[in-house]
Amino acid sequence: MNAISDIAPPQVDLELRGIAKSFGDFVALERVDLAIERGEFVAIMGPSGCGKTTLLRIVAGLESMSSGQLLLRGQDISALPVHKRSTRLVWQNFALFPHLNVRQNIAFGLTLRRHDKAKVKAKVDEIADLVQLGQFLDRRIGQLSGGQKQRVAIARALVTEPEILLLDEPLSALDAHLRIRMQSEMKRLQQRLGISFLYVTHNQSEAFSMADRVVVMNRGRIEQYGPPEEIYTQPKTHFVAEFVGSNNIFDGKVVDVEGGLIKVQCADAVISAAAGERPPGKGSTVSLVVQADKIGSKPAGTVAENSLNAVLSGREFTGSQVIYHLETAAGVEVKMVAQEPFSQTERTAINMAMQLYWSPGDTVVLRPGIVPGVENIPGGRSYVALGA
Amino acid sequence: MASVIRPDPLAADGRWWRVAGRLYMAIGYLFLVLPIATMIVFSFQKGQFASIPGQGWTLQWYGKLFTDGTLLEALRNSLIVSPLAATGGCILGFLAAYALHRFRFRGQGAFSVLLVLPVLIPPLILGVAFLGLLSRIGLQGQLLSVILTHVVIVTAPAMAVIQLRLGQMPASLEEAAWDLGATDLQTLYKVVLPFTLPGIAGGWLLAFTFSFDEFIIAWFVSGFEQTLPVAVYAYIVGSVDPSLNAVGSIVFGLSVLSLIGVELLLFPILLSRYRSATS
Amino acid sequence: MVASLASGALPGAVPEAGSGKVTSPMKVLGIGLPLLYSAAFFVAPLAFLIMLGFWLVEDFQVVPAFSLENYLDIAQHMFAKSNYALAIAQSLWVSLSTAFLAVLVCYPMVLAIVYLAPLSRHRLLLMLAVAPFWSSYVLRLFSWQILLANKGIINSGLAWAGLESFQVSLIYTQSATRIGLIHYLAPILIVILYVTVANIDRDLIQAARDLGATRWQAFRRVILPMSRTGLLVSASFAAIVSFGDVLAGALLGGGAGKSVLGSVPLFSNMIMSEYASSTNLPRTSALAMILVLVMILMLAAGAALADRNKIDAG
Repeated sequence: MNAISDIAPPQVDLELRGIAKSFGDFVALERVDLAIERGEFVAIMGPSGCGKTTLLRIVAGLESMSSGQLLLRGQDISALPVHKRSTRLVWQNFALFPHLNVRQNIAFGLTLRRHDKAKVKAKVDEIADLVQLGQFLDRRIGQLSGGQKQRVAIARALVTEPEILLLDEPLSALDAHLRIRMQSEMKRLQQRLGISFLYVTHNQSEAFSMADRVVVMNRGRIEQYGPPEEIYTQPKTHFVAEFVGSNNIFDGKVVDVEGGLIKVQCADAVISAAAGERPPGKGSTVSLVVQADKIGSKPAGTVAENSLNAVLSGREFTGSQVIYHLETAAGVEVKMVAQEPFSQTERTAINMAMQLYWSPGDTVVLRPGIVPGVENIPGGRSYVALGA
Repeated sequence: MASVIRPDPLAADGRWWRVAGRLYMAIGYLFLVLPIATMIVFSFQKGQFASIPGQGWTLQWYGKLFTDGTLLEALRNSLIVSPLAATGGCILGFLAAYALHRFRFRGQGAFSVLLVLPVLIPPLILGVAFLGLLSRIGLQGQLLSVILTHVVIVTAPAMAVIQLRLGQMPASLEEAAWDLGATDLQTLYKVVLPFTLPGIAGGWLLAFTFSFDEFIIAWFVSGFEQTLPVAVYAYIVGSVDPSLNAVGSIVFGLSVLSLIGVELLLFPILLSRYRSATS
Repeated sequence: MVASLASGALPGAVPEAGSGKVTSPMKVLGIGLPLLYSAAFFVAPLAFLIMLGFWLVEDFQVVPAFSLENYLDIAQHMFAKSNYALAIAQSLWVSLSTAFLAVLVCYPMVLAIVYLAPLSRHRLLLMLAVAPFWSSYVLRLFSWQILLANKGIINSGLAWAGLESFQVSLIYTQSATRIGLIHYLAPILIVILYVTVANIDRDLIQAARDLGATRWQAFRRVILPMSRTGLLVSASFAAIVSFGDVLAGALLGGGAGKSVLGSVPLFSNMIMSEYASSTNLPRTSALAMILVLVMILMLAAGAALADRNKIDAG
């Protein structure tokens, strides 16, 4: 522990070194490395079956790992059984003890060892106030609402002063409205207590709104790890670009590199993108990623750097914005997000031809690359962003 | 009227079916309660040979029961044997059910079959087998012999009810306890046992009933320490004595009590198999 | 057969959740204790039963031996004196017919409960049906005795009502045995069949009716085939219980109750009364082994029959 304090900040709370896990022939995790700084809110995001929950359960000690090492504040906890680890898990279904009331549930972890009753009571009261459960302490679990159960589950974990809190899709059992309120509440709580949160979710907006850094996982591997803004604007792999919602992806071949721009021949048109420091060579296959909200529509005849002709195939009004679904002549689907509907004079109609434009600077280039350890996965060819 | 929504496809317009079905049901229930009603009514009737019309009311058979010690002695024996056998069966049943619920191990299927097998083998066979072995080791003819053998046959029903209850416990409940720092043993008595308690109580009642009603095994192994069914059998073979109706009414009274217990404990478990504990 | 205790160790560095050691003491206890008890008080007696059939009695003492004398003697008396073969036939006849009748009585009961009673009443109706199960079997048989006796409650009641010509003489026949057995079996069969029938999706019946099936066709084509497993399970259960039961045959059948096969005791009653009079345990064990054998054959035949019907039907 002393060694840690000698090193300059940031201090690392949890470090995962080469965690791998397989169930028989199925590889759930392959060599996952991750470091979480003290007081950081990290969200692990990915489709179901990507290994995110397995990873969390391995950290908690509920699942064994095939190989790898776990360090909690510099101490190797790999061999510690679950009940000796100072990590705490919050379950999706809350896992509250139905035979105990709220107070007994929260106090559970404190009463397992020799304890001072008055101290336990004081601690429970304190944490209950923090999560606004003060007046519910004598209720039975069955009498609580979903949001209240959620608070009990968090309080029960936090009262034991864990070194890191692990949360497994803790909001997915709540309705949409409550979920959004709990998001900000949870973030506030985390900042106030300064405890690291490792938060698993399949919900992008949940991850982006709360986390300091986001881990995107796919097929038991980490695809990208960084602040939400970076994940959103600069996806590093094909998978991330696709997973992070509203991206358009165009595949093509580099035909020209000049003046800080590369030109890529795609199915419908030649598209330009900023070249970056290490541009791909002529003839190489790349994918171009453009966010749906970076694309605009312009009157016919205007000249722009990147433009694409497409036909409107659908329109989705979501309240604050409108999503336009279009299709090019070659059959590529394109999404465009506008903050407000077109003016009345520019009425849109299905099958209407539109010209789309965007700047080369908003075009992210992904170069096909082999990511270490992917060779054994069928179709494991992956795309890596330039300059990564 | 053709568009009227019919909640029940078979109860639809067929009035005759309904009348016939209800009538059949009534006859069925009459058949089921007839012997019990007879027992209660004729335990208060004067004549030694029950017949209709009755010969007036009396409490003499209850009086006779309490002066003649045999049946009371047997009842006392049964009230020693059955609770102990039920408790033993519940302990073994809980241990096995918990092991099956919690662990994966080789021979798991064989293990559960082995524990359920005793209820599939005719008790007559078990009676002969138990007597054979127990008499070799000098354990026959005591209440202990009956208890030991009854544990074997009541473990399966107790285990079945406890398994149903354990099946309703989400795995995350135990994990949550471990995660909060509880050891295996602490998790067992602070979380698993309280959660399973209704199942254990229901299983105990079922086991008690099985043991309390068991005849042929007790007949073989009990010797002179007769349990109630064995003593009653001997009585019936010996003579017609309405005291038996009095015993029957007392036993039925006891079973009504356990029936209330079953209604409160067993049925909620059996009928709500998929109810989750937390949501 | 024997579960391995050490096979639960997980491959990784983290041991089985919740325990410091690789094999949890709960696992050892949870598997070990029931296994030990079962070995000592269930497997051992049954194994010993097989052995005991080859032992002998000399000077009222059980002597270990390996002799076929018990079996040979029984074989000699298959069709003579004790007539074991007849008793076995009587047992088969009574138990199979009882199983058939019990299912025939209980199935319509269950259909009536499920389809004619509102769902909210089901629980009460089941409780009532199960009620007799919680009272003593021996005492219920005694009650049937005084009900069915020649001058018993039913006959005297009929006479009292002026219906002498309807009087029945059932006591000490195998019909009375069957009544006692059916009364004992009914609560259990009703529960088994209720679970089966109540789980049949009502939409299927509605759909069949919608497609023009008559009430009878809906029953014949939907409900009956879907009850098949429940009916088979309850019938085999009833047959096993009836085959091994001694009380109904002794108290209502009077030991050697009359049936179409004549006044022949059930095999189970024969075993019990032979032991009562001779206390010859080795011979009783040999008889018990024969009962087990016949029962296994009966079940195997039943299973083969059910299997063939399934192939025919499907």
